[in-house]
Formats: sequence, structure tokens, C-alpha cells
Amino acid sequence: MSNNIANETIDHSRNKEAWTLKRVLTNTYFLNVVSLVLFFLLWDYVAKERIFHDSLARPLDVLNQIITLVSIKYAGSTLWGHIWASTQRVLIGFFIAAVIAVPLGLFMALNSYVNAIVKPLFDLFKPMPPIAWVTIAVLWFGIGETSKVFIIVIGSFVPCLLNAYNGVRLVEPELYDVIRVLGGSRRDQIFHVCFPASFPAVFAGLQISLSVAWTCVLAAELTNSRAGLGFLIKRGMDTHKPTLVLGGMLLIAAAAWLTSQGVGILEKKLCPWKRSIENL
Amino acid sequence: MNYECGCDPKLKIHCDNVSKTFIQKGNQEVPVIRNVSLDVMENEFLVVCGPGQCGKSTLLKIIAGLEIPDTGFVTLDGQPITGPGPDRGMVFQSYMLFAWKTVRDNVELGLKLRNVPANERHEIAQHYIDMVGLQGFENHYPHQLSGGMKQRVGIARAYANAPTVMLLDEPFGQLDAQTRMFMQKETARIWEQEKRTVIFVTNNIDEALFLADRIVLMEGKLPGTVKTEYVVDLPRPRDHISEALLKLRKEITDNTELVL
Repeated sequence: MSNNIANETIDHSRNKEAWTLKRVLTNTYFLNVVSLVLFFLLWDYVAKERIFHDSLARPLDVLNQIITLVSIKYAGSTLWGHIWASTQRVLIGFFIAAVIAVPLGLFMALNSYVNAIVKPLFDLFKPMPPIAWVTIAVLWFGIGETSKVFIIVIGSFVPCLLNAYNGVRLVEPELYDVIRVLGGSRRDQIFHVCFPASFPAVFAGLQISLSVAWTCVLAAELTNSRAGLGFLIKRGMDTHKPTLVLGGMLLIAAAAWLTSQGVGILEKKLCPWKRSIENL
Repeated sequence: MNYECGCDPKLKIHCDNVSKTFIQKGNQEVPVIRNVSLDVMENEFLVVCGPGQCGKSTLLKIIAGLEIPDTGFVTLDGQPITGPGPDRGMVFQSYMLFAWKTVRDNVELGLKLRNVPANERHEIAQHYIDMVGLQGFENHYPHQLSGGMKQRVGIARAYANAPTVMLLDEPFGQLDAQTRMFMQKETARIWEQEKRTVIFVTNNIDEALFLADRIVLMEGKLPGTVKTEYVVDLPRPRDHISEALLKLRKEITDNTELVL
């Protein structure tokens, strides 16, 4: 019996082979490294040959700039202070959006009346780029934290809601039949099928929201701010310091990557059944 | 028929003149089954066999209580069926396992929904996991299993809920030929081990002959009706290519226009 079962399982083990040249050249990690190294070499070459005159800094100069920022205060904040200023805004805005939009999206998919009321409003605001709210936010909330967080909430709201909504709508309807046949109620259908089945879609929405949130914080900080990574970039532009601009860009990428990893870890904890998609 | 106890077979399910019409987009009426009457005895293995699109799955869904017939009625132990219930377990063609639950949690779900205490639940689930031969895979998720193993979980899940009737809707339709044959043997073994009234829907006549006490043949055009019945009074375990079985197969195919 169990032998037959074992034959049905998929064998993941690979044979150990010798390190031939072909294997090294076709190794994914090797190609990853080659790609990165070539990119930095090209960047350095273009900067060194002054193709963009003095507007492109060399990679090592950018790195030096970042290291300098760690040790000195810039515009009243250390580098960590600037990173934290942006991250804090992103996290607060993202959190507010997620807490409202995800339940609302689930509700809309489950209840046609809620859907009929919310959907027209949502459809009206959905195509509006969040950056379009920057000026009105300043008029409403001034140039403080509130207006920045507001823009982030607006931006992160749409993907959260849309994915939660679609996640529920795309649940295989026969799965509800399984609950019914097993003797379950409507409530059981929602808690045992609807919510868990839409989890992966909800998390996909959260990831998109998070990257939108970083776009929004940058837009808000470029317009007006006294701290944050967007502020560093703006300062770099005003004082013509390409090292600062590029350093800020790299740091934003790093911070956005870290927060996205955080959401990814949360997802793995909450959805252990999900197959990981590699190379993305 | 081959009844071990020798007593009179008890009527389990009775379908009386059941018809069902679906309304498609544009108010187009599609009659799916018409005037189907069918009796199923207790602990009988009935196979409903017919080509695709003959309404056999709809008939099964009506017996499950997932669809309401337009005319006619279905009774279970003399009581009319008004909706789905744990007295009827169902196995689905596309497995319909809960991807977010482990094998054990999938099998336990019906018991959990009925508030059976956890330790009792584990014990029952383990019994059926063992019965379908999935011991050692209790903590696997469905995506880690092959097609045949997934359907074993589906069978265990239905059995664990202690139904008196098992409804199987083309359960092996997605399996390759070898796994399919093997699963048929397993089904026969499991059924002999724990007898239930079984209604098994398939489009495969060999599968029907291998498993059934009685085969009901449905016509190949909508609306589907029950055309003919064949009693398969052959000893178990059966052989797919035994002479008696092939003789009956020839008799069935000679008497129908269906390509089986």
C-alpha cells in the first residue's frame, strides 16, 4: 500500500554533479552576480566618462556619501532619522489603509447591498492617481505629517480593496458546496472557505499597496518636508549633489524592500499552505 | 443481487420522476434531466454511467440536496430531501480540497463543523486516513500530493463525516489510466471494509463494471433519462479483464447506441 503511495509522490532530490564550466555558466546565482557586477561597471564607466557631465555620481562616491550620512547629522537628523521619518509615514498610512480597505473589500464581495453602495464611489476615485491628491491634502491638512499620511492612505487604499474584493469573488464556488454537504452553515462557508481562500489575493494587494505607499511618501516629501528620504533627494537636487540624490534613491529601494520582506514574512506565517513563487 | 445478510434489501434512496431545467443567460431553458425515477437499496453500490453532458452530475447534486428538482422528489430513508446534510457525503471530480488545511484538517472538517471534541475528531480522522492509505501524510498540504492522493483525502473526508450514503461525482476523471485503475481497486476495498450506500457517477463503462452492484445507463443527450439498468452479479474482488465482465460489457454495448 504505502509503496504505491510513495510512487505517486514527486521526487525533488537532485543528483550531485561535478562543477563543470557549463554548470557554473548556467548557474542562476552566478548569472545574478554577473548581471549586478556588469550593471555597476557600466554605471561607473558612464559616470567616469562624464556622459551626463557631472550629474551622475560614481557608485563608490554614492556609497561614501551614504557612509558620511551615517556619521553626521544632515538637516538636523541622522541618516537613521531620515529613513525612519519616511518609513514611519509609510507604515502608518499603509496600516490605516489596510485596516479599512481589506475588510471593506471582503464585505463588498460578500454583501451585494454594501457593494451597490460603495462600488460607484470607489469606481469614481479609483482611476485618480494618488499624487493628484498632494496639493489638496496640503490645503486641507497643512504641510505637516497628516497631509503626507493622508496621501499614502489614499494611494494604498485602492489595491488593498480591489484585491480583497477579487480574492473573494474568485473563490471556486464548489468549495462552498463542500461545506454545505459536510453540514456547515453560511458562517462556516465564510470562515472556512471565503476568508482563507482569499488570503493570498489579500496579501498580493498588500504588497502592491506597500509599493504605492513608498511612491506616495516620496511624492509628498518632494513637495514639502524637513525630514525623510524624499527630503534628502530634494536637497540633493537643490544643492546639486548627485551623490545625495542617488544615495537617497538606493536607500528608498532598500527600505521599501525591507518592508516588503516584512509583509512577505507575515504572509508566510499566516498562509503556510501557499506555494512560494521563486525568482520574483 | 449479492446481499450478504440474506434479509430483504431496505430501500435507501428513492427518486420519483425528477426533472430539472437550468435557465441560461438570455432566458434560454436547458432541460438537463427529465423524469428520472430510481431506487437505491441500502449498502448497494450503484453506478450511474453515461457520456459527458447527460445530466448525471445534476442528478447526483439533486440527491446531495445541492440542487432542488423542478418536478418530482427524492427521499432518503422515506424522508424527503430538502437540502444538503451530513447523512450524505460527497466526493468531487476536481477534489475540492481546502488548500489552506492539512490532510488531517481536511478530513476532520465535517466533524469540526458539528462540534465533535478534538481528541475524538483526531481519532476518527486517523482511522479514515489510515483506511485510504495516507498514513504519514497527515500534515501535508494538498498541493504537496499527487492527484490520486488528493482524491484519497476527498474520500476520507467524506467517510469521516459518517454519512450513510456516499455520492461520488466522476471521482477519478482527472487521473491517469493507471492511477485510475488502482483507485478503483482501492474504492472496492474501502467499500467492502466499510459498507455504505454508494452512488458513483462515471463516464467509463469499465469503471462501472468493475465497481457496481448495478449499473444505470443514462442517455447521451439533454435532457438525460435513465435508459437501461444492468445488474452486475459478479464476485469481488473483480478483474477488469475477466471473461464474465467482458461478456457483460459486450451485452451492454450491443444494446445501446452510446459509444462506451
